[in-house]
Order: sequence, then C-alpha cells, then structure tokens
Amino acid sequence: MEHVDHILIVDDDREIRELVGNYLKKNGLRTTVVADGRQMRSFLEANTVDLIVLDIMMPGDDGLQLCRELRVGKHKATPVLMLTARNDETDRIIGLEMGADDYLTKPFAARELLARINAVLRRTRMLPPNLVVSESGRLLAFGRWQLDTSARHLLDKDGTLVALSGAEYRLLRVFLDHPQRVLSRDQLLNLTQGREADLFDRSIDLLVSRLRQRLLDDAREPAYIKTVRSEGYVFSLPVEILGASA
Amino acid sequence: MSLKLHCPRTLASRLSLIFLVGLILAQALSFGAQYYERFQSARSTMLSNMQNDVSTSIAILDRLPAQERLAWLPRLARTNYDYRLDDGDPGAPLDAEEVPVAATSISSAIGGAHPLSFSRFPAEKKHFQAHLRLSDGSPLTIDVRPAMPPLSPWLPGVLLGQLALLIACTWLAVRIAIRPLARLANAVESLDPNAHPVMLDEHGPTEVAYAARAFNAMQARIAAYLKERMQLLAAISHDLQTPITRMKLRAEFMDDSVEKDKLWNDLGEMEHLVREGVAYARSIHGSTEESRRIDLDSFLDSLVFDYQDMGKDVQLSGKSAAVIDTRPQALRRVLVNLTDNALKFAGAAQLQVDTDDSLSIKILDRGPGIAEAELQQVMQPFYRVENSRNRSTGGTGLGLAIAQQLAMALGGSLTLSNREGGGLCAELKLPLR
Repeated sequence: MEHVDHILIVDDDREIRELVGNYLKKNGLRTTVVADGRQMRSFLEANTVDLIVLDIMMPGDDGLQLCRELRVGKHKATPVLMLTARNDETDRIIGLEMGADDYLTKPFAARELLARINAVLRRTRMLPPNLVVSESGRLLAFGRWQLDTSARHLLDKDGTLVALSGAEYRLLRVFLDHPQRVLSRDQLLNLTQGREADLFDRSIDLLVSRLRQRLLDDAREPAYIKTVRSEGYVFSLPVEILGASA
Repeated sequence: MSLKLHCPRTLASRLSLIFLVGLILAQALSFGAQYYERFQSARSTMLSNMQNDVSTSIAILDRLPAQERLAWLPRLARTNYDYRLDDGDPGAPLDAEEVPVAATSISSAIGGAHPLSFSRFPAEKKHFQAHLRLSDGSPLTIDVRPAMPPLSPWLPGVLLGQLALLIACTWLAVRIAIRPLARLANAVESLDPNAHPVMLDEHGPTEVAYAARAFNAMQARIAAYLKERMQLLAAISHDLQTPITRMKLRAEFMDDSVEKDKLWNDLGEMEHLVREGVAYARSIHGSTEESRRIDLDSFLDSLVFDYQDMGKDVQLSGKSAAVIDTRPQALRRVLVNLTDNALKFAGAAQLQVDTDDSLSIKILDRGPGIAEAELQQVMQPFYRVENSRNRSTGGTGLGLAIAQQLAMALGGSLTLSNREGGGLCAELKLPLR
C-alpha cells in the first residue's frame, strides 16, 4: 500500500484546525487534529507523523515552546511548519531559530499551506541536510563569509550585512546544507522552489551566477561553488556551525 | 523720535529689572534717610559749637587790648567763618524770611552784649557777614561761609560696591530661578513619546523637583497611552486574523463561482488592512530593530531580484558602493511600500541610486502621478487621492504614511514629486554616515 503522509495539526481554534484538517484530507493526506500541547504530547507518545503544523499563539504552552521541546525529543527529525498569527518579523525569526522548517502567516489560504507542506516534505525527504541548524547555532561559516540563517543574510569579515534575495538564500542554503556533495540542476531546482508556490521559473544557472557575484566568487576560477561538467554544482568548502552572533 | 518703553520680553530680564529697581530704590531711601539724619545732627552740633565759639571769641577780642587783637584773629578763625577788624563789605540786607540759621545762633550768642547788623552777598549763596562794635567802639565783622563738612572720599566707592553686589545677587537669583524653567522647556520641546523617555532630574528646590516629577509623570502617561493604543490595535488585528483565517478556509471549500472570487478578494482586502494598520502603529511607535551596517548595493539588488523572481517589472540603475548604518527591515519596508505603489499604478518601477553628500534612492514610475496640491496630503494616514483607482486596487491609504514614518525614523526624509513626462518620483534621502 502506498504511503500516505500523516500530518498532525496543533491549533487552539477548533474551526481552523478542522477546516485545515478537512482540506488536507480532501487533498489526499492523513490528518490528526489536536487542540494544545498536552494533547500533542499524548498523541506523539504512541504515534509518529510525517509533519507537524504548529500554531504559535496558543494558551498554555505556546508553539515556540512546543517546537523547542520537539527538537530535543524522539521526534526531532519530524519537520515542523509554524503558523504565526502576527505579522511580525521577529516571530518568524524566533520560529526558525527554534528549529521550525517553515512558517506561514495567518490568515493563510489552505492551498498555500498544502503547497508548503508538500515542499517541506519533499525537501526533507529528498536530501536530509548534513547539518542541523539549531537554536544555539544559527550562523553557518564558510570561507570568509557567515550566513545568518534566521535573518537570512550574509555577513562579511567586518560584520557588514550583505542581503540576499529569497531565491539566492534558498539556493545558498541548499549548498551549505550539503557541502562537498554534487547536486544536479533538478535537485537544486526542487530544493530551491517551494517557499513561493508561484516562483518564477528562473534557471538554476542564472541563480548560481548571481550567487557567485554576491559571494564575490570569480566565475572562471570559483572558490565556493564549482561547476561539475554535465552533473551540476558542488559547494567545495567546508561549512561550520557557529554559536549565535554577539 | 518716539521713545517707547517696551516691557522686556524675557522672564529673566523682567525679574532682573524688578529686583534691581526695587533694591536700588530701597537702598537709596535708606541712604537718604541716614544722610538726612546725619546732616541734621551735624548741623545742630555745628551750630551749638559755633554759638559757644562765637561768644567766647567775641569775649576774648573784647577783653584784648586793641593792638593785640590782630594777632589773635587766625587763632579764632574756623573753617566756616573768620573775624575781621573792619566794617566789612557792603552788601544787601538780610531777607526777613530767609535768615540763615547761623545768623540766628550768632544773634543768640552775642545779640545781648553787642548790637548786630547783617549783610548778605547774593553773589555767593549763603555767604553773609555780621557786623558789630566791640566795647571800645572798634568794628568787628564775622565773615560766615556756611558749608557742610565734605563727604568722605570712600563713600562713592562703597556705594558703587553696593551696586555691584546688588547686580551680582540679582543675576544669581534670577539664574537660579530661570534655569530649571529653561531645562523643563527644553525637555518638553524634545519630548518624543516614540523614543525612549528622557527623565528630568528630580533633585533641587521643592518647586523645581515638583515640576520635574510632574513632567516625568506626564511623560510616562503619554507613553502608557501610546502603548495602550498599540496594544488595542494589535489585539484587534490579532482577533480579526482568526475569523479571517476561518473565512478564507471556508471559502476554499466553496465551488468555484464569481461569488467565491468576490468573497476571496474582500477577505484579501480585510487582511491587508489589518496588516497595514499594525504596521503603521508599529512605525509610529518606533522600532526595536537594531541598526546594522549594510552593503547597500546587495541590499537593493536582492530587493529587485525578489520582485523580478515574482515576475514583476522592477529595474535598478546606479551603484552606490556605499556601506550604511541603518535598520534593514525598516529600510526594506519603505522601499517595498514605494515600489508596490509604483507597481500598482504604473505596472512597473525603476529604482535609481545616487550618492553625493547624502544618499538618494528614487523610485520612479510612469503612472498617472499625483496632483501637485495633494503631494503632501497623500502621506497622511488613510488619505486617498481623489479619483484614484486606490479603492478598486485595494489600497489601505497607509502605505505612504508608513513609508514616511519609517523614513523619518531612519533619520532620512521622503519626498514625492511629479516627473517630467508623467509619472511619480518618490525620493528617499538617507544620511550617508
């Protein structure tokens, strides 16, 4: 029998969790809905799921706390998608620092949630990252750069902030999650897409050349992202996880 | 020439004037009273001395042999009068009304023993002579030039010193009284409820401390009101987000129809309004975001690429090669709001960077522009341009207000102008260092 992904939805609003559950069920997923952290814990005692959708604003234990708890328990490999009720950058940043794989701001459309769920599942299944970025280590250091994975920008040696576009960040993140491993264009395209469902289909080659420019990498003699003829690209430097920046 | 007395404008000069005039008058009064008293007592002393002197001198001269009298004259002379052995100078007779007091005392001293006659000399005020005959019939004249003893030479010095002391004390008192007031005025003027409150020093004289405490309390109250307003907005928006989410989810279960699309659009508009409302409240309340050093070219590049990746026509021209200290999320928000605006009305946007003494980022479009009269007003919250397509395109009237608030919070400015050949130019100016 074909595997059906099992999604656990944790939200204190009964209508929302049931509407979301029904929508996902209608689209071929298996769903379980619970109202709070207590129910979530007791369900996860005996069951495993493929992905957890976690509301941030909940009475009792909030989503951030539950996410932190999940990341140190036996479900630490289960991807988490956060629902945040506030339109606030800091929530997003904290959510990602706590180890959530993605987030969605309320109010959201159910089809967008479905697209995100599928993207996160694809991303984590296809190539589990070699490195796990956690709350305590959100800086990835390579060469003379550091990538801040919560604020999503680069820092140079002097600490000057070098911004990245969404697509550039996602591509760089894929490289840094899989250093010294050859990635095909198809893999890169699959892993890079998914944040915005309607991402303009830019070719990976163009994105790589933009990223090289951003890293001040010489395209003829690249030090960071090397082209592997007829195979794809490889990130050739070691990557190190640093503690939170001062 | 018209001399008009103006009341001095500043409290300091008014207070100084009152203090100085009052103190000088009081000082002058007490000096005058003392001087008068001293004059009176000196005069009566002098007169009684003179009475004794004159009667003694006349008696001495009367008894002396005539040939010895001349030798005695210098010894009998005084500062104010002397004796001469002649009939005196011809002068006018004394006025009956204005008999000098000295003449009266001379009369009372010797009037009984020798008949007296007086003459005065109008050329010299108060100068008079008394004529009499001694017992042997020889003439004697008392030449009187009454004068007060001169003032001590140190007296004007003391008076000047007193004046200087008065001025110094006045200045000090006024300064002490005015300084806390000026400090309070400064604090009120620089009061910015959005920034961290600057507390006044609550030490000092009772009244000053009281005013400072009242000011600090007022500051805290304003901050509390603002915070309450923020919390209210945040609470409303949060509570609205849940029903909007439910409605959106329910709408997705509806069959495709025109009604569904309309409902979907309405929900989108509501959602947008809620978000912009919170963003505006936040932009006014000031941000907690920290300032970072950012590479401007990559910042703008990434912004433009994000638009291009979504299939939007946004172009960037110019390079600044600048590294600036700013709050990246706030700056991004300003640029996104302006670019979204351009895309909404013109379908395309062009970003242009220039650096001279300050940094200028222009967002240009070829849309309908804004009537000159309304260029200022459009930056006020909830203001909508007349005849604009704003309603139909779902604007909240907050985008530009947020952008302007944040531009100011970043230490810069935002100005709108119409371009030659049509379209709008929104220019964000930021300090370079």
